Amino acid sequence: MNAAYVPSDYLPVFIQLILALGFIVTTMIVTHMVGPKRNSQKKDDPFECGIPVVGDARTPISIKYFLIAILFVLFDVEVIFMYPWAVNFKQLGVTGFLEMILFMGLLLSGFYYVIRKGVLKWE
Amino acid sequence: MLPIILLSVFGIALLFLGFAKSKAILLPATLLFIAIAFGASFVDWGKNYMYFNDMLLSTNLSIAFTAIVLLSAFMVVSLSSSFLEDESAQPAEYYAIMLFSLVGAIMMISFENLIMLFVGVEILSVAMYVLTGSDKRNLRSNEAALKYFLMGSFATGIMLFGLALLYGTSGSFVLSDLRSYVNGGVAYGSPLLLYMGLLLLLVGILFKVSAAPFHFWTPDVYEGAPTLFTAFMSTVVKTAGFAALLRLLSFSFTGIYSFWGVILMAVTVITLVVSNFTAVYQSSFKRMMAYSSISHAGYLLIALTAVGQQSKQALVFYSLAYSVATIAAFGVLLVVSRHQSGEGKPTDESYDAFNGLARQNPLLGFIMTVAMLSLAGIPLTAGFWGKFMVFTTAANRGIFWLLVVAVLMSAVSIYYYFRVIIAMYLRDGQTTAIRVAPFYRYVLIAATILTIVLGILPNLVRSLV
Amino acid sequence: MLTLALIFFPAVAATVTLLLNGDSAKRFALGAALLEFLLAAYVISQFIATPEFQFGFDVPWINVLGIRFSGGIDGISILLVLLTGLLVPLIVLSAFGQNYNRSATFYALILYMQAALMGVFTARDAFLFYLFFEAALIPVYFLAALWGGANRIPVTFKFFIYTIFGSLLMLVALVYLYYQTPGLHSSAIADFYKLNLTPAAQGWVFWAFFIAFAIKMPVFPFHTWQPDTYVESPTPATMLLAGIMLKMGVYGLIRFILPIVPAGLDTWGMMAAVLSVIGIVYGSVIAIRQRDMKRLIAYSSFAHVGLMAAGVFSQTTYGVQGALIQMLAHGINVVGLFFVAELIFDRAKTRQLDQLGGITRTTPKLTVLFMILMLGSVALPLTNGFVGEFLLLKGVFDYNNYLGALAGLTIILGAVYMLRMFQKTMFGKPSNNTQSFADLSTSELWVLVPLVFFVFWMGLYPASFLKLTEPAVTNLLRYIK
Repeated sequence: MNAAYVPSDYLPVFIQLILALGFIVTTMIVTHMVGPKRNSQKKDDPFECGIPVVGDARTPISIKYFLIAILFVLFDVEVIFMYPWAVNFKQLGVTGFLEMILFMGLLLSGFYYVIRKGVLKWE
Repeated sequence: MLPIILLSVFGIALLFLGFAKSKAILLPATLLFIAIAFGASFVDWGKNYMYFNDMLLSTNLSIAFTAIVLLSAFMVVSLSSSFLEDESAQPAEYYAIMLFSLVGAIMMISFENLIMLFVGVEILSVAMYVLTGSDKRNLRSNEAALKYFLMGSFATGIMLFGLALLYGTSGSFVLSDLRSYVNGGVAYGSPLLLYMGLLLLLVGILFKVSAAPFHFWTPDVYEGAPTLFTAFMSTVVKTAGFAALLRLLSFSFTGIYSFWGVILMAVTVITLVVSNFTAVYQSSFKRMMAYSSISHAGYLLIALTAVGQQSKQALVFYSLAYSVATIAAFGVLLVVSRHQSGEGKPTDESYDAFNGLARQNPLLGFIMTVAMLSLAGIPLTAGFWGKFMVFTTAANRGIFWLLVVAVLMSAVSIYYYFRVIIAMYLRDGQTTAIRVAPFYRYVLIAATILTIVLGILPNLVRSLV
Repeated sequence: MLTLALIFFPAVAATVTLLLNGDSAKRFALGAALLEFLLAAYVISQFIATPEFQFGFDVPWINVLGIRFSGGIDGISILLVLLTGLLVPLIVLSAFGQNYNRSATFYALILYMQAALMGVFTARDAFLFYLFFEAALIPVYFLAALWGGANRIPVTFKFFIYTIFGSLLMLVALVYLYYQTPGLHSSAIADFYKLNLTPAAQGWVFWAFFIAFAIKMPVFPFHTWQPDTYVESPTPATMLLAGIMLKMGVYGLIRFILPIVPAGLDTWGMMAAVLSVIGIVYGSVIAIRQRDMKRLIAYSSFAHVGLMAAGVFSQTTYGVQGALIQMLAHGINVVGLFFVAELIFDRAKTRQLDQLGGITRTTPKLTVLFMILMLGSVALPLTNGFVGEFLLLKGVFDYNNYLGALAGLTIILGAVYMLRMFQKTMFGKPSNNTQSFADLSTSELWVLVPLVFFVFWMGLYPASFLKLTEPAVTNLLRYIK
């Protein structure tokens, strides 16, 4: 517990924050003011120089995409845990190894569950 | 901390049990798992242990709350036999999620590090969002889940912000550090940050226990969620939330009682008045129970504002009495509405569903009556002693005006609880005799007996804590 | 230990009754009630007229809070124990003529009610008192709500909410007193007597108690639940309400308000007494205008109980003694009168006074017994009502002459409405409804004869009752001076 912080220590953070916000706001305003503008129906289309727009963007998408996406996020994030473990492999020793085995075991059982449930089957 | 590990493992095991051909094994297995966890929770009885690098602290108080939560879960699960008949339901997943949510609840009950509080709240909440929306074909259920999810995420966001501020000002997430920081005078950092942080944290948890003015999600969610999960939500989440508040406030923040005491008292009064008067105007039983659960949050808050040994006992006893009575009430509702759909009638969850129930089903009528009397706080039921202990904690601190408000509001509450009794005994209805499965019946009877026994001998639980 | 038996025997008997059916339940309930009466009679014969509690029990109950399960009988409770023991078998017997459906439940509820009432009158711990006070409400609510008249649901609901509101206020007062007791707090009523409260606190506690008991009795202006409830309830429930339950209020006044908050009584007692006297006059005047027999008796009961309250607030030995003896007398009279009203309704199918008349032609037995009960209620000398009302009026006079004079109106007005009722029902030309009117059957006779017996006993030799209560009353009034 480092109790020596005072609010003024956060000053750099605030300056950075203001700079970042300021940059965005300034760029947005400046582009609007500097750039030339010619409005027409064609030009206001979402894709100005592509194929003509057809239909609504909100068409239903198969739920499978979401499932895959969610699963990807899950396993992806969990794999990140392996990096710090790998870096500290020596220090953590056998206990760390066993703990990792346990962790991977749980992960794999989850994977097995997902397969058994047929989530990854694409019909 | 055995129950946390056990329940996690059991939850995974249940997921795989779901692959078995026969679903019949799931219910007994879940009950067995919860019973094992219940027994295991008492291993640490009488000792104060820190677990997992000082992340969790096991005390007798936390064990008592854990036991209440597990008992409620056991009762709710044992009322769940309808899952097995429903084709589209996925019982293994539901049970597993319930067990996982219990892990979250136990973490909330016994946290020592604020991170654990946050993780516990999240585990419990995410599980609840899923269970609320588990009736996939029902629009009400979907709506409820979405509402709960959106508002709940905002609440956890606010809570997280509060935690961050607390960390920023004190430099630690550990309760005992926070305690010495608060008690040692506010040496570093700004007290404003401390106050803001605590306030935001309180808002987050008060949302979870549905205290007014953070209660607006409650009626819709309770009504939309499948009845079984409403029962689970209104008991487990509430008990865990109050255990967390108790731990937080009575340990770390006693030094600035003058700050949060006033806030909680204001919340208490708003909760009691708003919930009781709104409940009077409900025509749906489930919505009434939602407002009733808000009002009970109000009574629990009274005990919370009166820090001390007495308030701990009061909270434990009240949570137990409230949980048992609520589950019994929802259990009867569940039987009645299932009976209706079994006869091909539209499911009706208003008071009218109970019209004339007691004629053909004296047992169900009696169980419901005892539950309602207990919730209303009529003597010779556990609810009376719960209210009594809560009131005495307020009196002990000399807060008599709060006591008077609470008493007047519980007089109001009798109005809506008695509407159920009147419907069952005095109004005419066509309810025929309902066949209740033996095990289901035993659980309801046990809840009723527990309510009455605690109403006569409240010492049984009091002396434990 | 005898007290414990008095409380638990009816409760056990009630549970057994629930398991029986039909006629056997009926007879079993009557037997149990009679046995309970014998037990009460034995207790009274063994009772020694001192201010001490006797036949008591006292065991720890909720240790942490210092609440004890303790009870006993002293001079204040003895007559009410007698009243409860005496009236319940008669009430059970009076219901024999009616065929109530689900009769086992009906009689069981009466017995549960008796257990709770015995508990109220014998509790020595304030929270135990409160517990029984509330518990008595549940059976009588169900009796009234399940077997009552057409309008029963809203009426009984109002009654329930009203009374529970009052008793919750009392709970606040009890919790407050409990926390004023020194050391490890105690909730024994005797410990409450020793408290020295500030006058302001006494004022609050006084009102909390007064409103609770005033609703129960009821005292003007808390009486609006009463007439409707009495009329809509089945007659046995009405008897329980008017005969015994309203005495819980008067008993509470004597047991709690007099000794615990004397200074509050100094400040507010006059106001409470004035309210009570308003109740007397108001109730009597309304009773004169009533056309429904049951409603008339309800308002008469309201007037009588006002006098009891006024007597208690006079804080004199006469007043309190009068209230105690009048509780017994009023219980006996009002149960008798309600029974007669039910009996007439049963045969004539109406309770409207202008549709009755000429009953006396065919019913010599009924006429005589009804008249004695009626005269007892009017407080004619040599009947039970006289002793109580005389003492009460004496007490109120000593307290304040003007109030006494106003309260004295009860005798005149009471005579007016009671005699009017008697005349309209029994004399005159028989109406279509009363052409053929059978006299009392044996079981009906057995209800009325014991009541009339007590009317005379108390009227002719009140000393046998007064001497039981006197030492306790004198002792109680010490706390006021």
